[in-house]
Amino acid sequence: MPHDGSGPTTRANWSPYDNNGGTVLAVAGEDYVVCAADTRMSTGYNILTRDYKKIDQMSDKCVLASAGFMADAVTLKKTLKARCTTYEFQNDKPMGCVSFAQMLSNTLYYRRFFPYYTFNIVAGLDAEGKGAVFTYDAVGSYERTNYSCQGSGQGLIMPVLDNQLKTVSPLVLPAQSSATPLSESEAVDLVKDCFATAGERDIYTGDTVEIWIINKDGVRKEYQELKLD
Amino acid sequence: MFMTRSEYDRGVTTFSPEGRLFQVEYAIEAIKLGSTAIAILTKEGIVLAVERRTQSPLMVPSSLDKIMEIDSHVACAVSGLTADAQSMVEHGRVQAQNHYFTYNESMPVRSLTQSLCALSANFGTDDEDSMSRPFGVALLVAGHDVDNGYQLYHTDPSGTWTAYKAKAIGSGSEGAQTTLQEEYKDDMTLKEAENLALSTLKAVMEEKVSTANVDMASVAPKYEIYSKDRIKEIIERL
Amino acid sequence: MALLASGNVSAAYIPDRDERGGFNFDNVARNEMMSQNGLKFKAAMKTGTTITGVCFKGGVVLGADTRSTNGETVADKNCEKIHYIAPNIYCCGAGTAADTEAVTGMIASALELHRLATKRKSRVVTALTMLKSHLFKYQGHVGAALVLGGVDINGPHLFSVHPHGSSDSLPFATMGSGSLAAMAVFEADFKEDMTEEEAKEIVARSIRAGIFNDLGSGSNVDLCVITADKVDYLRNYECPNERTYVRSKGYDFPPGTTVLNRRNFMTATAATLPVNQIVDIIDGAPEDVASGDAMQTD
Repeated sequence: MPHDGSGPTTRANWSPYDNNGGTVLAVAGEDYVVCAADTRMSTGYNILTRDYKKIDQMSDKCVLASAGFMADAVTLKKTLKARCTTYEFQNDKPMGCVSFAQMLSNTLYYRRFFPYYTFNIVAGLDAEGKGAVFTYDAVGSYERTNYSCQGSGQGLIMPVLDNQLKTVSPLVLPAQSSATPLSESEAVDLVKDCFATAGERDIYTGDTVEIWIINKDGVRKEYQELKLD
Repeated sequence: MFMTRSEYDRGVTTFSPEGRLFQVEYAIEAIKLGSTAIAILTKEGIVLAVERRTQSPLMVPSSLDKIMEIDSHVACAVSGLTADAQSMVEHGRVQAQNHYFTYNESMPVRSLTQSLCALSANFGTDDEDSMSRPFGVALLVAGHDVDNGYQLYHTDPSGTWTAYKAKAIGSGSEGAQTTLQEEYKDDMTLKEAENLALSTLKAVMEEKVSTANVDMASVAPKYEIYSKDRIKEIIERL
Repeated sequence: MALLASGNVSAAYIPDRDERGGFNFDNVARNEMMSQNGLKFKAAMKTGTTITGVCFKGGVVLGADTRSTNGETVADKNCEKIHYIAPNIYCCGAGTAADTEAVTGMIASALELHRLATKRKSRVVTALTMLKSHLFKYQGHVGAALVLGGVDINGPHLFSVHPHGSSDSLPFATMGSGSLAAMAVFEADFKEDMTEEEAKEIVARSIRAGIFNDLGSGSNVDLCVITADKVDYLRNYECPNERTYVRSKGYDFPPGTTVLNRRNFMTATAATLPVNQIVDIIDGAPEDVASGDAMQTD
């Protein structure tokens, strides 16, 4: 067989990525942040597990929620957790969520040409105790926002969040509070409804929603059942 | 100084049977030959004052910097081999920038000091950036961060770091440290610290204090090097 | 072999394919060339559905889920996949919705005419033959995968039909993306000569297997029980996927939620104004309103 390109394709079809579906979401309030994700992990038309936790605590008041390719997400989180631990030893304090957000961006961009196929949201409280949400693309572009949604249910949930939570642009002068006007319980109520709705129409969102609520008292978790079909 | 010459002062990483690392001890001794540097910590900021020894009237004084900025919130006063100090400060600057790049926050002062000490203690190894001998320099690292406020650290060639409220290093350090111990107060203002630093320096210097042979700076909370006019003002205050 | 005999080209001798054995890759080069010249090879169609059927003593039970998908989105949460063919014959459809609906509708109307002409009840094999010859003619481009069932003069019949026109006569059949999940149920628990209740139970269970384990299938269970003397179309026989949460606050959009840039007013009279007389009013100049009885909208 001539190797000059004139022959038939002999290269293997190397495709190292998969999409395991799932939806992650976060809403920041004045003194709280809510982060939620469904627990379904799938590939194609198959459910791999109905009980996969997509949210992990990275430091004191900072969690990371990842959708996309779970093998990459697991590796990414292992790396980040190790760096958080090292940071805590070196600097004698837990890593703040603003620092964590920057570190995640750098970590993702480091793999610019062989990316982690993950779609991340960082949720936590900033140095002032305000809710903070950071949203990313797969190669590390990020932005601090008041709310965000990523993953298979993004297209269904994001417009609802825009409608219910959109506040003044941070560019408007004089600066106005950009936190959501909802109370903590109202935000949790909205998050549950968003997932129930996404579960109705997105085949990759279902089973259970895991909801993390972070405020000055610490970290709390709630679970809400979703449809199993 | 050591009565018996021994073969244990050859290799930098070889302990003597008495448990000493001679090269490190010699390096610490070398600092006592350096110009005097003083740092005083107050609740309002940290003052750094150093003596500048111009050996010849033809020397350009500004090329003899003994106070260096590491990041906008950390500075250091040095005594000993200035070349070694420059290597360490360069390392510190890289660490500080890298921390900011990675974590979007200023590097904590203690972390930065520890990083400098890790470099100091890393002599005689196979590492690429390892020195074949200990650094012959002592540093007074002064800085401010959000979590721990103003901090002053002293580092020596062994890689040991110690936090201080006021510290003098260099040839006049023994006398200066005694003065600092007598005069330091916890509730000093920055202005009082400027006076104490300069008067202490004046007392241990051979030459008469002038804007030509003294450098001063503060971290309050940002690093700022004092102009000749400002130093002159302080000299006149004494 | 003439070449070999002549001897002078023996160095370049390549044995015949038959002598060489192994695989033949001639068509790989041909296919590459054809696709480079613009031929599009048809991609495999995904059928997001679970449809099943089973024969029992005296009849057949057909089952289907009710999810219709468009990629990863659910297009219809409660669609009907069990289609009418004849009073005594029904057909479950998986694959391209347009094809399953069109092909079952065509055969239903053809059989109606056939019954009028012959004055006899339709036979399941007739429907089967018409379906498969249609599908074969279209070489798989009509993307319909079917489970056909009914009771006729010869008793209960159940067939599965593939998009290319092949068919199987079976005691139980499954089709669609949930067919493996559903088949597992039949392989585990199928019995000959079940009662009607047993048949309904196993079919419903096979559909549930698809609904819960196959992401292409979901929502409710539809059943259709056909015996010699009756047909029970049990639409939404089971509804195991009710919504799990409703926002306590609800969603309220008071007037003014949508910012108004411009208002159009027109008089609704018997002699409706021509379109070109509709007046565009820029907001903030309501005095220009042509006919003033319109309701305020903000």
